[in-house]
Amino acid sequence: MSAPLIWIVFPMAAGLLFWLFRQRVGLVTLLSTILCLLLALLALLLPVDQRVVIGPLRFTVGPTLDFVGRRLVLDNGDKVFLAFFYIICAFWFAGSYAARASVLIIPLGLGIASLLIAALAVEPFLYAALLVEMAVLLSVPLLVEPGKPVGRGVLRFLIFQTLAMPFILLAGWALGGVEANPSNQTLVTLATVFLGLGFAFWLAVFPFYTWIPMLTEESSPYVSVFLILVLQTVNLLLGLRFLENFGWLRSMPGLFPVLSQIGTLMIVTAGLWAVFQKDLARLVGYGVIVETGFSILAVSLASQVGRQLFTSMFLPRVIGFGLWALSLAILLRDSRSARFEHVEGLLQQMPFATAGLAVASLSLGGLPLLAEFPIRHVVLEGVSRQSLLNGLWALAGSMGILFSAFRGLAVLSRGRLFPQVYSETRLQIGLLLAGMVCLIVIGIFPQAFSSLLTGLISVGSTFP
Amino acid sequence: MIGNSGPLSTLAVFVIVLTTLFLLLNQNWRWSITALVIQYLAVFVLTAQVWPFGLAAAKLVAGWMAGAVLSASQPPAQPAVEDQGWGATFVFRLLAAVLVWILAFTLSPMVVNIIPLSPSLVTGTVLLIGMGLLHLGMTTRPMRVLAGLLTTLSGFELIYAAVESSVLVAGLQAVVTLGLSLVGAYLLETSADKEGAA
Repeated sequence: MSAPLIWIVFPMAAGLLFWLFRQRVGLVTLLSTILCLLLALLALLLPVDQRVVIGPLRFTVGPTLDFVGRRLVLDNGDKVFLAFFYIICAFWFAGSYAARASVLIIPLGLGIASLLIAALAVEPFLYAALLVEMAVLLSVPLLVEPGKPVGRGVLRFLIFQTLAMPFILLAGWALGGVEANPSNQTLVTLATVFLGLGFAFWLAVFPFYTWIPMLTEESSPYVSVFLILVLQTVNLLLGLRFLENFGWLRSMPGLFPVLSQIGTLMIVTAGLWAVFQKDLARLVGYGVIVETGFSILAVSLASQVGRQLFTSMFLPRVIGFGLWALSLAILLRDSRSARFEHVEGLLQQMPFATAGLAVASLSLGGLPLLAEFPIRHVVLEGVSRQSLLNGLWALAGSMGILFSAFRGLAVLSRGRLFPQVYSETRLQIGLLLAGMVCLIVIGIFPQAFSSLLTGLISVGSTFP
Repeated sequence: MIGNSGPLSTLAVFVIVLTTLFLLLNQNWRWSITALVIQYLAVFVLTAQVWPFGLAAAKLVAGWMAGAVLSASQPPAQPAVEDQGWGATFVFRLLAAVLVWILAFTLSPMVVNIIPLSPSLVTGTVLLIGMGLLHLGMTTRPMRVLAGLLTTLSGFELIYAAVESSVLVAGLQAVVTLGLSLVGAYLLETSADKEGAA
């Protein structure tokens, strides 16, 4: 038995099985949530490459799986990431029933999760580009519901994510050449350009992020936010792995200042556009862009503190966006669209969903005493030490999300008077309350949670 | 490997010029898919310069299968949709294509200086990428976006074939080509907006 077999092949097979039984929504949701929690638990408890004795049963879980001459490797260093990734899936699959999201999110979501983990595990790493592309292709049926017109956001998502693949492949070739001949400046330039363009498309860096708000507007926000979140998580980790594996890249004099500028630009522009939005679904898209911008800013600090901040962001991000997407899905169930004029006064019908949306958006806007604030505070402090201007701009962008969150809340609480009939189910209320409590508790006791994900990534340890 | 067979490679580049232009200008899906299929033949000829015949044929088969999948998912009877002001659009697209040709033929020698490869292969690559990107920038219809993406990817695959000859990479690239065509088929089938199929 090998670790990739457990955490890559088995979930993919389970996804196929769930696809066959997709009509039985409740059962599939329950089983998939249990499976993901089990996989997360196994990742935490099962040692890799060590003899395990359970009663009369003795076995060793090997770290590698050979696949047509290439290797998938998952060792003990990846276990926290695996647990975290499957907890995200469990969290999202469990909520999909309450959000009444497309039932395909479970079978396809498991397939996407398996492919993305394979992308992180594959050696040589250039195959990661092809595996991520396959995950992107698999996600399209989730984003376009049958019978609905194909939106521009989906097409742009497909175009930009697909264009990333050849650039990463070519970067892999150029990086190999640089390793063999470090003095070849042409190859160094080519590798940098290819890598830069590849990650700009993958991470939806300015100006390639227009598809994110379009996608959250056109598709189910619950599904689109899940897909964007898992893709961005893996792409960010792949980016960090590139930095880890190629010392010359890390030591390029202009790299970290450029990353800082890119991160700031993403935060400022997305924050600014968010202020002028009149659509709740698009707001969550801008929230995602700002969050990615902060992750890039954390990496640009080029230190162990930056690396720790980068990992600390994952937990509040997942809970925050999960709560935001669930609240939005519940609020939009009977609405014509997420535009402000169609969601006015929904607070009276759906107080918990409105509260969930408020807490999540304010947390991701960096409001004090909520989960994101302590991390944002330290990131902004670090960035300001390097460049005060960048720090101030990033703060302004973050304020843009906060402002739009308050604006959205004002819209939800004003206007029409509905009869006092609450239309949220107990399951929805339970999940929303759990999300809100988590964000508040993490915000009040950040130290208790910041160490949880310290081992999330085994890369980035060579930062000064 | 076919080797640096000059006339055949030049012919392949000429075919790419024609097919990419046809894909950009033509609105009829049958002719567009035919152009795509011929384009894959030209890509095969250029790839065969640097890859063994059998491996290069994998690209051809994958491309043709992609064309077959896309054509199978088209609505049964669909009139050719002529946009309003098609004349002006036609002229604009033609001029844009001419600009890309100029760029491609100017840029190719520079690329050859950086990456020493056969000039016809590099010209074919730059043409495919340039025209594919131009196509992607000018349309929001699923079928045409797919044609643009397949064209752009063909260009990248061509230059990548010259620097990397791994069988697994070739196989996975073929899977991506087929995957893209299946996604295209899904988008065309599920879309209520059948105009998008044009």
